[in-house]
Amino acid sequence: MFDAAESPHTPHELWVEFAATRDTSLRDRLITENLGLARRLAHRFAHRGQSYDDLAQVASIALIKAVDRYDPERNVKFSTFATGTIIGELKRHFRDRGWAVRAPRRIQELYLELGATIESIGHERGRSPTVSELARATGTSEESIVEAIEAGQGYRSASLDAPAAGGATLGDTLATEEAATELIEERSVLEPALALLPPRNRDIVKLRFIDGLTQSEIAARIGISQMHVSRLLATSLAQLREAFAGETRT
Amino acid sequence: MSDSVELTIPVRSDLLILARLTAAAMAARAEFGIEDIEDLRLVVEELCISVIGTMTTGTLHLRFTEDDGAITVGCSLWGEGDEDGRGESEPDELSLRIIEALVDEYGEDTVGGRRQSWIRKHRSKVAS
Repeated sequence: MFDAAESPHTPHELWVEFAATRDTSLRDRLITENLGLARRLAHRFAHRGQSYDDLAQVASIALIKAVDRYDPERNVKFSTFATGTIIGELKRHFRDRGWAVRAPRRIQELYLELGATIESIGHERGRSPTVSELARATGTSEESIVEAIEAGQGYRSASLDAPAAGGATLGDTLATEEAATELIEERSVLEPALALLPPRNRDIVKLRFIDGLTQSEIAARIGISQMHVSRLLATSLAQLREAFAGETRT
Repeated sequence: MSDSVELTIPVRSDLLILARLTAAAMAARAEFGIEDIEDLRLVVEELCISVIGTMTTGTLHLRFTEDDGAITVGCSLWGEGDEDGRGESEPDELSLRIIEALVDEYGEDTVGGRRQSWIRKHRSKVAS
């Protein structure tokens, strides 16, 4: 059991200790201390057709994944490693869920097709496909692929709207968002919230957000339809959100 | 041999699409993977945010260079009379963390008497 009173003091030493012991109370502490980063990144990606609550859930679960996977022996700061992990999950979330801006129907259809094609080529070749490969696979031009990526991913930074909105500056907007974030970042509730889910839902959430499987991969693994996985994920995220809200009110 | 593209846009959020599209198009031409292109688009926007800071006027000057499997993007802000438009403002911490997490190198230098922030991202190794 991790004993805070006898714990090492520097962040690096904490990570080394966690890597050696995998102590759950130390893990909780590391998650709690870094929840602010997850929430700030969620704020950064908000206001593009996805609710902040959803993005905060995705970012928080990605943070847990980063805590579990971080290797302190690598020459990378945890904040840098976690930022990359969280942004990766937020991008995946937008790719799966987001249709943030209006776009011509042909571009919407192409973007939806791209999602499956990216997964397929990525799985087949073990790397991210190039634009030219996607153009060949979908029978369209490279320009259309670039256009679809731009139109389909609404994750650009919320703060950039500031100059066009009522004369507020970018700095004003950032300061407001950061202040709001600080108010709600102090509690670690994910683990207990996950424990409240039925076993199958908990497994699906972990497969999706911790192991990084797609809905289709989860469906194949546990023998139900992708639509069923989608419904169970939606229900589970709603429960997690409710648990979050309850904790932040206490 | 390297190819460069220069882009000049007013400080307006709705025009930053041009910076993202230019970055994406150059990265596509350099055979970057789609994940790298997504990261590059995001970073270019963060780069612009960090250079704009709290400024609401001026002109963003971006220079995109493709060289040996890497894209370098330099960004500076020009004010009235072509002066350096950035003032003393420093990029916010979150922008720096995002940039640090998603590119191989980043930094700041002075070009023509103006502060320029730059990022450099290499094409990921392609599995055979």
